[in-house]
Amino acid sequence: MAEISVAIAASHAPGLTGWFDKAPEADRKTVLAAYAEIHEAIVRSRTDVLLVIANDHIANGFVSDYNDFTFGLADRHTGPDEWFKPWLRVPDYELPGSPDVGEVLYESVKDCAPRVRATRENLRYDDNLSVPTTMAGLVSTGVAVVPVLQNCTVPPVPDEKVCYRLGETLGEAIRTRLPAGLRVGLFGSGGLSHEPGGPRYLEIDEKFDRWWMDLLVEGDHEKIRTDVTFERMEEAGSGGTSELLSWLVVMGAIGPRPCKALGYAAVDQWRCGFGAVRWDLS
Amino acid sequence: MALEHFDPRLRANDLVQELKWDRELRARFETSEKEVLDAYPLTPAERTAILDRDFRALFELGLHPYLLGQLARLIYGTGEKAGTSGAATALIRSLLGDQYEAYMAERGE
Repeated sequence: MAEISVAIAASHAPGLTGWFDKAPEADRKTVLAAYAEIHEAIVRSRTDVLLVIANDHIANGFVSDYNDFTFGLADRHTGPDEWFKPWLRVPDYELPGSPDVGEVLYESVKDCAPRVRATRENLRYDDNLSVPTTMAGLVSTGVAVVPVLQNCTVPPVPDEKVCYRLGETLGEAIRTRLPAGLRVGLFGSGGLSHEPGGPRYLEIDEKFDRWWMDLLVEGDHEKIRTDVTFERMEEAGSGGTSELLSWLVVMGAIGPRPCKALGYAAVDQWRCGFGAVRWDLS
Repeated sequence: MALEHFDPRLRANDLVQELKWDRELRARFETSEKEVLDAYPLTPAERTAILDRDFRALFELGLHPYLLGQLARLIYGTGEKAGTSGAATALIRSLLGDQYEAYMAERGE
């Protein structure tokens, strides 16, 4: 039996690397402290393999035939994709993969949504993987990574219930189908409120964000699934806020439990609410 | 609201994807935009909207909002130096139309 070693989630807004210094110092400190704690949590939990679950941002497929979930089974993952480099301004990186673990988990959840797929090719990574890799110093941890990129924005989107259920199946597979002693971490990457490309591009729904963070700290997953639907996320910023679906995958895998808020910041210039949590697995 | 017009059959969606993925196509788009558009199976309405930088029209025709934002970056550059970069400003100005000035004044920008 493998074990879920750590469960965390954090925003991957490109402003965190691309134009970090546009924010007030207090907000920058909040973000740096949150990501430092995430780095520590990954190291101290002795995690062997980290699943990073995140919005694909329509980076890897045409919208007419679009994957709902894509497991990255490459031996090594490199990024960021060339098109995003001027925007993200992060160093090029290479992360070890874990194709064997990824394959088992992909096989376990492939019937949980209509288009769950896997590839041994390197995927195109934008802020989804590149920002957490940079801000949490993932390369220096030496942890192997299985990226799971998901469809958060192209209708029909696998909604909060589908994502939570897929997470439950994923958690069960980690506990029952992976080698004993393996320590698997889960990282939900994305959110909070933002509306990339829409008329509210410059807005952050701070009220929604703080409500979401409070709900997570309370840890009532049934209430969260009932109240924070895909549609409610869309109201708080279309095409962006629904990245919280990646957090719901993690929540499904670990089951109802409270978490610790690692920080929140609403910086207009980042065009995205920042939030981070670490779930209590004790 | 933002996804209600989305139409996955609109080929402008695919054009934005190919421009992101193909550096040579992107370079040709910058120097010979009309030739690139002529070679792609766009409807006259799509073609005109791209040439006119009419993001509102593309949005209503069915271009995905996320790709709309990326098209703005393809046209106006990727220099996201602040929250009101040229690409974002051009996009919002088109989407909001007559309401743009009042909206930005209200935000103090």
